[in-house]
Order: sequence, then C-alpha cells, then structure tokens
Amino acid sequence: MEFKIRAYRFNPEIDEKPYYKEYTVEDYPGMTVLNALIKVKSEIDGTLSFRRSCRSAICGSCAMKINGISKLACKTQVGPEIEKFGIINVEPLANMPVIRDLIVDQESFFDKIKEIKPYLLGQREDDARDNFHALKEGEKISQPVYYKYEFQNLTGNNDTPNCILCECCYSECGGVVGNPKYLGPAALAKLYRYCEDPRDNDKNGSRLVNGSKPDGMWDCVHCQSCEEFCPKGISPVKSIVKLHERTIKNSITFSAGAKHVVSIAKSIGETGRLDEIKVAFDSGGISGLINDLPMAFGAGLKGKIPPLRLKLIKDMDDIRLAYKELDLEEK
Amino acid sequence: MITYAYYPGCVAQESGKELDNATKFIADKLGINLIPMPEASCCGGGVIDGFDKNLKLFINGRTLALAEKDGLDIMTICNTCTLTLSEVNEELINNPESLEKTNEYLAKIGLKYSGKVKVKHILYAVRDDIGFDKLKEKAVKSLKGINIAPFYGCHILRPSSAVKFDDPENPQGFEELIKALGGEPVSYGRRTKCCGFQTILVNEATSTSLAGNAIFEAQEKNADVMVTPCPLCHLSLDTYQTVAAKSINKKLSLPILHLPQLIGIALGGDYAEMGFSRHNVSLRGIMAKVRQNEI
Repeated sequence: MEFKIRAYRFNPEIDEKPYYKEYTVEDYPGMTVLNALIKVKSEIDGTLSFRRSCRSAICGSCAMKINGISKLACKTQVGPEIEKFGIINVEPLANMPVIRDLIVDQESFFDKIKEIKPYLLGQREDDARDNFHALKEGEKISQPVYYKYEFQNLTGNNDTPNCILCECCYSECGGVVGNPKYLGPAALAKLYRYCEDPRDNDKNGSRLVNGSKPDGMWDCVHCQSCEEFCPKGISPVKSIVKLHERTIKNSITFSAGAKHVVSIAKSIGETGRLDEIKVAFDSGGISGLINDLPMAFGAGLKGKIPPLRLKLIKDMDDIRLAYKELDLEEK
Repeated sequence: MITYAYYPGCVAQESGKELDNATKFIADKLGINLIPMPEASCCGGGVIDGFDKNLKLFINGRTLALAEKDGLDIMTICNTCTLTLSEVNEELINNPESLEKTNEYLAKIGLKYSGKVKVKHILYAVRDDIGFDKLKEKAVKSLKGINIAPFYGCHILRPSSAVKFDDPENPQGFEELIKALGGEPVSYGRRTKCCGFQTILVNEATSTSLAGNAIFEAQEKNADVMVTPCPLCHLSLDTYQTVAAKSINKKLSLPILHLPQLIGIALGGDYAEMGFSRHNVSLRGIMAKVRQNEI
C-alpha cells in the first residue's frame, strides 16, 4: 500500500520560511516512521534532514512530532498512524528552535538538565574513606554501588531512571509553552530522582529550595502531557508532584505554588470545600489580589462571585478524622 | 431513567453556579436522575497529592465509598474532579495496599470501598448512556451554521491510564456531540492543550498565555464560540480572557460556553436560568445566531 509523508522542511541558509513537502512511499508490514524517512532520504530526497541512531527506542535521537504528537519515529509504526490520520505528518519537536528540517537545537533542554545538578552532591561522612585515590595492590573498590532494583526498592522510584532524554515530554509540556524558562518535566523528574537517591548528600535541602524558585517545580501546569506521551512509560508529572509533597513536608513553603497547595489543603480541612477567595489570597498575597482586582471586579459585576463564607459539607467530622489519622492537623 | 450520584465539584457550587444550573436543566430534559452528594468533599483541585498523597486517597476514597453505598456511579462536570476521582479509583482497584489503608480509615466513619463505582464526565455520560442520536431527537433548537470550537482541556483526556473515555491523541467525542446538535466543529490544534488554570494563582503570565493562545487560534479559525467541559478551563478562558489578551498582546473576544449550556440551548433552555449573564464575554452574538435559525 502506498501512503504519503508530509514533511516539515526548513533550511535557514536557503529558505525564507518553513514549508511542507510530500513524498509517496510504499508500506510494508511493521514499517516504522523512521524506516519510511530513511527510505525517503535514500531513494527520493537526500536533503531531508533528521536525527537517528539506534532504531530501538533507546537513544532518543529520532523524537519528532508525528501527526501532531511528539513520538520516537523508530517506535511508531506507519500502519496505525495511517489508519487514524490517513497521512504521516512529520514536524520537528516543539519548544526548541529548528536547526534544519526535523532537527531541533537541544541546547536549552540540556542546559536545564545541567541546572538541576544531575550528579550526587557532597559526600556522606561514612564515605570519606572513599576519597579518590589510586588503588593499592590487592585493594578493591569499596564505593557503595546500588543496582537498579536496589535503588527502586529504596526509593519506590521505578521509572525516572529509565529516561532516555528524548525530549518528547519537553516538546509536549504546557508549562514550557507558557514559560520558555520553565525547567520542564525531564529536568524536574531528574531532580526528584536525585532527591530520592540514598547516596545523595544534600545536607541543607538545596535541591528542594532551588527547585522551588520561579521557573521551577511549581510552574508545572499539571497538563499530564509528559506522562501521556512519554515513549518510555515514565510519568514526570508524578515525580513533580512527589517533589511538591517532599518540599511541603520539609516546610519549604516560600513559593506561591507551595502556599497555593497548603491553602487548598487547609480549606478542605476546615470546610470540606475549596474556598476560592481564601486560596486566591493565600497564593498571591496582597499584590496578587491587587493585580487581579480589575478582573475580579468585572466578574463581580456579572454576579460571578464565590460565597464569602462557605457552608460546611455534611459529615465534616469524617474529613477532620482523615487529617487526624494522617497527622496533618498542624500543617 | 439513568441515575447517577452527582458530583459537581467546588467551582460549580461557588463562582460557576451557572454550570450547575445548566447541568440540572439538561439532566432533567434527558432523563438523567442526579442524586446530590451533600457529604462529598472537594477532590483536592488536582494538587492535593502535592500536600499528602494519602489525603488524596482518603478524601476521594470516601466520595467513591459514598456512591458505592448507594449502588451508584458518579457523574462529574469538571475535568479535574474527573481525573482525581478516576486516579484514586484506579489506585484503589489496582493497589491492594492503598485499598487496605483507605478502608482502615473508611471503617472508622462507617464506610467501605470495594472498587465498584465508575466515574463518568457528563460529556461521555451523554454519549454512552443517552446517545448522540437520541440527543439530536430531543433538540428543539438548531445550532446550524454556528462554528463551535471544542476545548477539551487536559484532565478529561490525560493520562489515559486513568481517564479512558476518548483517544488522547485525536479525541472525537466533543466533535460528534457538536455535529449531533447541528453545529460546525472548528478544527484547531490547541483543542486538547492546557488552559493553564492550575498555575493561574502561581504564575499568571504562563497560565493566561496558554488560554490566550487557544482562544486566539480558535478565533483565527472563525469560531463563533468556544465550549469547555470544565469550569476551571472556563475561568481561564472566560473570566481571565481580558488578562489573557494582554498577556499575548492580541485582541480576544470569543464567548465561552460550558458544555451543558451548549446542550441546554439546543434543548430549549432559558438563557437567564442557565446563567448566560454571568459570563465575562457576552453571549449575545450566539443567542442572535440561534434566533436566526428559528426564523
């Protein structure tokens, strides 16, 4: 069966603006989008540019938008895409500048990975003896090594170490669309991975403090795209939420995001409901309220104002008991 | 008649009462019996697990157990409530440890959960329990010639491990509903993207630019109106539309309907009762178009 590939083309050295070019390719059972692109490049148009390497969904090089969704071309079969969309539309990943055709500039993505310090911090006191030195004759390496399953058992973190840095999550992330400076799902999932690592010696909680600054973990919009579209089945958003929980439990609540979550929890603990006015005030403070005053005034004129005093839900004691059982009353 | 435990969520009972009113109107017309849940608490607004994961399980496990006690499934009208209840439901069904822990708490308040409840958003309750053909038969006003941009938002589609109503890559439920009512669904890329609501009080610029760009794209595609299945998206898209316009430096003026209001128009609902005057962006243009169809 023949099918069409519609590829995004842009060579900034020649082209004034991007355009699309269509190619007709013959399908075979099990053909992947990457197979198809390689066929186009070798048989029809050698100028079509795209990254590729392992062809086994492990190097992450061939990530691109396929029919609007960021996917690995080597892991995506042509058949189901044609069935659903009737065409293979390929475009470069979003949220990064295009270098040429389907190749994007990954610098901003990797700068953010570097920013979270993706290595073990400091040194535990009992590891002092493992200072770097040349091994003496007969001496064995005594640095503790955690195997993957041990790490998983220790931390309950069984997915973030599987990240292949393919940037699909970063390309789909609503937070990065809205704020290009936002660290993004891959970097934050990595931050969580290091926070949870028993070998990391982050004495003063600097990871959580730095991660709480603007453009950090609290800028996640919870759009769930990173989980939905991760080709390795990782859920960065769940790691980000665990970071939130860990941050609040460590009383690092200077950020508007942490204040927002604490306020919602407090409101439910008091009334069983979400108090829209109180949560707005607690999250943004007076400056936030002043900023939103014209909008709130407009909404007020239309009668769209939440009640100033909320009625408790029926059997509110049930909710109070939940907080008591979980020892959350003082928070 | 189909009966559901009705979980409107907080916003539809507070600033977004028009959504609750429209839902009750269409439920009555379509023969959906909604049993109120006065004991149900807030779901946690999609962020409560950032405070304490077990609190999310306990308070939502309690809501699920309340419905199970009455032998009912839950109907929601908010994307975030839908996702939170669905996530907790999946966790309790698939993780015996979480179920045991939650049931220990529930036992103390005279409840028990065994995983029998289904959580359904009204869009898919109408599709699956009523059927779009039947909806078409019941419509008394036509939406013919009206370009309607469906805005799915996030939590009704993603993650599909928890919410399993539609194809997260290329959903069609909303478009099918619009077609059944005679309207023209507008095709635009941001229909499944984020409205930004979750950070509206944390980082307003990020949040409103997401809403603004979605509205702008729909406007460019000649949408007469945008419709959302979520009151949180509605706040971002309608209440904050003026702020969103400033944040993306574009002119925006697109009326935003709640999904039950759209169905309500077709079923002959009273505009005042469905709270049309409570919207930031005027709905007069849409009302005029519907009136034109009647002539």
